[in-house]
Amino acid sequence: MQIARLTSLNMKHNKSVKLLTLATTTAAVLLLAACSASNEQPVVPPTSDTPNAPALSGTLNLGGSSAQTAAQTTWRAAFQSANSAVSVNYDPLGSGAGRTGFADGAYAMAGTDDAFQLSDIASTEFKLCATGSGIVELPVYVSPIAVAYNLPGITELKLDAASVAAIFTGRITQWNDPALLALNPNVALPELNITTVHRADKSGTTGNFTDYLTDAASEFWTAGRTESWPAELSGEAAEKTQGMRQALEAANGAIGYIDVSQVGSLGMASLLVQGTAVEPTAAAAAKALAGSGLEAGRSNIDLAYDINRVPTDNTAYPLIMVSYLVACQQYQDATTAELVKAYATHVISEAAQSAAAKDAGSVSLWEDAALQKRVADAAEAIR
Amino acid sequence: MLHIAKRRTVADRVFTGGLIACGVLAIVPLISVVWTTLSRGSERLDIDFFTQSMRGITGAGGGALHAIMGTLLITASATLIAVPIAFGTALWLTEYAASTTSPAVKALARTVRGVIDVLAGIPSIVAGLFMYAVIALTLGPGYRSGFAGAVALALIMIPVVERSGEEVLARVPAELKEAGLALGAPQWSVILRVVLPTALPGLVSALLLGISRIIGETAPLLLVAGFTDSMNYNLSAGRMISLPVYVYSQWQNKGVDAQAYDARAWSAALVLLAGVLLLHGLAGLVIRLQRQNRQVRRARR
Repeated sequence: MQIARLTSLNMKHNKSVKLLTLATTTAAVLLLAACSASNEQPVVPPTSDTPNAPALSGTLNLGGSSAQTAAQTTWRAAFQSANSAVSVNYDPLGSGAGRTGFADGAYAMAGTDDAFQLSDIASTEFKLCATGSGIVELPVYVSPIAVAYNLPGITELKLDAASVAAIFTGRITQWNDPALLALNPNVALPELNITTVHRADKSGTTGNFTDYLTDAASEFWTAGRTESWPAELSGEAAEKTQGMRQALEAANGAIGYIDVSQVGSLGMASLLVQGTAVEPTAAAAAKALAGSGLEAGRSNIDLAYDINRVPTDNTAYPLIMVSYLVACQQYQDATTAELVKAYATHVISEAAQSAAAKDAGSVSLWEDAALQKRVADAAEAIR
Repeated sequence: MLHIAKRRTVADRVFTGGLIACGVLAIVPLISVVWTTLSRGSERLDIDFFTQSMRGITGAGGGALHAIMGTLLITASATLIAVPIAFGTALWLTEYAASTTSPAVKALARTVRGVIDVLAGIPSIVAGLFMYAVIALTLGPGYRSGFAGAVALALIMIPVVERSGEEVLARVPAELKEAGLALGAPQWSVILRVVLPTALPGLVSALLLGISRIIGETAPLLLVAGFTDSMNYNLSAGRMISLPVYVYSQWQNKGVDAQAYDARAWSAALVLLAGVLLLHGLAGLVIRLQRQNRQVRRARR
């Protein structure tokens, strides 16, 4: 009796629990069944009776430079809209991670602010590439790097390479240092400590920044060109582009270097070139690019730039980065090759380049007809 | 005398006051988190947020449907993997290993308990790295899938569910089990018909707490499930994003209209917070039902 009663009690009680479970499950299932994103077109599997099935399908995973994030978002959005059966993912984990991931076969293409070194190309086995295949390096994203600062009320700041080097090596520690006041006679620089912010991760932006200091202020910057910030220099370390931005926004008196598309509300310093202050604009970056040449000793599909950091043109902004999209010349897998080629072709197209110029403040390749032709030829070589 | 009494009263007041202050201090961060998430997250909590993915979105607009679906799918499959193992272990430990006389079984039970304690203390990123190492070795470094994420989450969930499940099962009155055994029922039958039904509400709340433990995990999913802009219902192939990873990627990988990315991240955080609170509410409800049921039972006795 006792057991029977208990059992019936249990059953009664279980009903409420069961009901609850049932309700939750039903809700979840209904939700799952009803959902397809309203901004996505349904993917039609290519069959014989759907003649307008998408020509391309599959997933393309890319990764690398976090400076390219904004541009990649623009490019991917347009490419995915045009090819409803293709997904393109971009992991902005940094140039170093992108190159490693590409070599390991994790990424079909890498975005990197530094081209592969010639010695690395010779010694690395690229997992997705066919044996004996070279790699294609396309300069797709040319953008000024801003020396950004957080000084409320100060909208104009002029710096030269030497003072930037002095600030980042700790020789200048106050905003009202005589050297800075001399460069900015009309600006009321405050008596405030300078907080320098540098990237904590291995970064192509750091590489370009130190390259600029090495060439333009060799007497003050002795650490050379490096993607990892020299450990002996102090300052605040920030993870990736967003970490840099966050650190700069958080600290009054902070100064750092960041892709111009991510500057937001921070101040941007003008750099003195041949005695003239040049602002980090796309036009000034294009001038610097025009004054630079391709690195010698590379094949005609490996378009690595040797950037001239001390331009003779006093309208050129020398602190630029040339960021690359790296692909295999020949892939082991034909489907991957097809997707990669389609995406690379899209990225260097006039529409995509000017969209990135608009969204991310980069320089369109199409401003330099000769360069655009070389890049198009190199992309054409992908198979 | 009066002096001593007064001193004691004062000491008591001070002590009580201190404890109340601690209690208030403990909930201040929670209230602050809920308030901030509510005020910042409500901005983008519109229809689009629940009906769109991020595919083809560059600045403002877009939504988190793909992340909501990913969270549901990954959490559901992690639960499906973890729950049988966790409850099975808990049953074995309470029903069989506890009453055994064999030293070998006892030693095994001790080892299992020890290992589960260790497992409970593992940081979630380690579970993620473990899965990453497994899939990187077997399927290549670029492989990402929702299922791999689910396995990593199951690793985190098993000890949580097992421990609370074991506690619940241990509380099933021995008289009930003995009555069943005395009537000649085999042990498996007693477990199925007496132990499990009696412990069910407790087990359900153990399950819900386990789910709310894993639903907000970011690190393991970031490593093995990856992020994507598009819907993906296929657990076994392709990247699948979940809400916490969505929050991270919206914050970390901002495009040019940074405001829009921040707003989406806050809204997704709000949805996630609401989901976790809902789960806790459900667990609380189940526990309350169980208590009421006990009171009814006692009253009838």
